[in-house]
Amino acid sequence: MNAVNPGRKLALAGQALLLILLYLFLYFPIFYIMYLSFVENTVWPFPPEYTLEHYINLLTLDNFHQGLVNSLIIGIGTGLLSTLFATMAAIGLLKYQSRWRGLLMIFYLAPLFVAHILIGISSLIFNKAILGLPGNLLSAIIANATYATAFAFLVIVAQLARYDWRLDDVAMVFGATPAKTFREVTLPNIWPAIFGGFFVGFILAFNNLEISFYNLGAIPTLPTIAWGTLRHGIKPELYALASIVNAFIFLILIILYFLLKMGFLKLDIKDR
Amino acid sequence: MSETILQLQGIYKNFGSVEAAKNISINVSKELFALLGPSGSGKTTMLRIIAGLETPDKGRVLINGRDVTNLPPYKRGIGMVFQDFLLFPHKTVKENIVFPLKMQGKDESTKEEQYQWVSQLVHLEGLDERFPYQLSGGQKQRVALARGLVSRPSVLLLDEPLANLDRELRKEMEIEIRRFQLELGIPFIYVTHNQEEALTMSDRMAIMRLGQLEQIGDKFELYHHPQTSFVASFLGSTNAMQGEIKAVDNGCIVVDWDGVSLRAPYKDDFKIGMTVDYFLKSEKITIHPPGQKPDDHGRTVIEGRLRDTIFKGQYADYLISLKNDNEIIVSDVPTISPALRNATVSISWPSEAPDVFPADGGLA
Ligand SMILES: Nc1ncnc2c1ncn2[C@@H]1O[C@H](COP(=O)(O)OP(=O)(O)OP(=O)(O)O)[C@@H](O)[C@H]1O
Ligand SMILES: [Mg+2]
Repeated sequence: MNAVNPGRKLALAGQALLLILLYLFLYFPIFYIMYLSFVENTVWPFPPEYTLEHYINLLTLDNFHQGLVNSLIIGIGTGLLSTLFATMAAIGLLKYQSRWRGLLMIFYLAPLFVAHILIGISSLIFNKAILGLPGNLLSAIIANATYATAFAFLVIVAQLARYDWRLDDVAMVFGATPAKTFREVTLPNIWPAIFGGFFVGFILAFNNLEISFYNLGAIPTLPTIAWGTLRHGIKPELYALASIVNAFIFLILIILYFLLKMGFLKLDIKDR
Repeated sequence: MSETILQLQGIYKNFGSVEAAKNISINVSKELFALLGPSGSGKTTMLRIIAGLETPDKGRVLINGRDVTNLPPYKRGIGMVFQDFLLFPHKTVKENIVFPLKMQGKDESTKEEQYQWVSQLVHLEGLDERFPYQLSGGQKQRVALARGLVSRPSVLLLDEPLANLDRELRKEMEIEIRRFQLELGIPFIYVTHNQEEALTMSDRMAIMRLGQLEQIGDKFELYHHPQTSFVASFLGSTNAMQGEIKAVDNGCIVVDWDGVSLRAPYKDDFKIGMTVDYFLKSEKITIHPPGQKPDDHGRTVIEGRLRDTIFKGQYADYLISLKNDNEIIVSDVPTISPALRNATVSISWPSEAPDVFPADGGLA
């Protein structure tokens, strides 16, 4: 190893700068909003006078409850649907390897690159005109699941690449039918990955504005409420809403992190 | 020999353009049968076909006379010990071992009984609640063996079970596996690319190359009477020479190997002028101390320079440089002093010692 390495020092300094910039423009505003949500005077909150008023106003807002419930439904529905598809896709791709693998991968991931607003408008028109689906929660779930499946697939495939599919062969030789093999051996080893896929799908759909907006019209979700109130100027209740959503998602991510860590601890069979 | 349990009849299997099995027919009875071959010769493929994890393109697999060719793996009742152990990482030792019984829907008392039996057989006491990542390599090996044996299968397949163990442990497990086979009295099909392992453990063995069976039979038969060039060169420590048949004399041929004459028994397909491969196991050669010249009646006798001696304990490898610039390795009892380096010595072997084949037989 080289004691004096200018390249390494430069790289370290560059990374420090990058992180400072990222945190300054990404996380700092978020923490600032969280801070604002607890203070009386939101225009110039120094020194602060703490209050829960904005939270109380938010909870008594007309359609807040309805919006929360709808967002949860869309989030869970999309999470389940996209996880199911993404898991099947990932297993198909990894367990039954074929020479079309690269091409299939591209097709599964392609929805990542379609603009959400385009998915929203086009699925509204297509679902209504061709499939005869009215704009409702179901069609919002389906529309969200299109790109959420791609994200969930990305998460699941990355983790399933570590699973040794020969374990499935072992189970079959020892008498397990394909269904039992999945339940007894595959699933217990890959569930953290599936769980991760579900949360990605959930968070994306829960937070989504464009797709849900076009498919739902007047039916409220948290993002559409936030967007709606924005039109009458930024109100302090919005800070409370943003803080709740953020805190919720951070919590999920933390839980997820620990679940993944625990779940994969035992997967490393090559580890002596 | 006792009755046949497992039969392979004319098995073919291609993966794209790779011929992984080509007209394989084997009968295995209650014995330890070793399948030996270099990497990529199709050994694992053969086991996977027997287990039902791979369907042959052509041919049949019979177990106890019943055609199982189209039966899925979970209906075959076979035990298997996999390369790299492949224990279930999320199950404890005990759960791993009773897995086959659980899949067969056995009741708790049967499970317990069989588990006790097998964990004593393979010496696994006290590890029940450990997870695979908490085991040493040797312990994992024992668990894998126990899982393969616990349901008293009709056949046990072992795919290079000792390849990941160190030498000491390997010696110990070789003896153990041999003991299990004798105790259980079921066929063990033992895949390895380690010839020493195959020769130590097996009753009979088969040698595979490029998806084909080169020779099958008793291990002494294969070692001492190989039928192909490949088997002759693959088994043991072999000197490979090539030359032209110069003369036929008194039931023997004389082969000219770069100016050195070698003798071998005459066979029907030999003709003067034919190029032949001449294989000679190093332990079939005798080394004579300087000054001693052996009687060359019925023997090949050559003089050479003792270039080096590699002392191995019970025997030594002598590297002999010949006047035709080739080298021969002789394994003999270590009687020649290492101080005699570069001395001129004679080496000799009986005419029937070598294995000779027409040269187009093809070497790997
Ligand atoms: N699923 C598969 N798809 C394509 N080719 C395969 C497949 N399985 C095996 N092969 C090929 O078949 C040949 C035999 O493979 P096999 O694994 O049976 O060899 P092996 O004798 O077990 O080798 P090793 O000692 O390295 O384990 C090889 O050329 C291998 O590349
Ligand atoms: Mg193999």
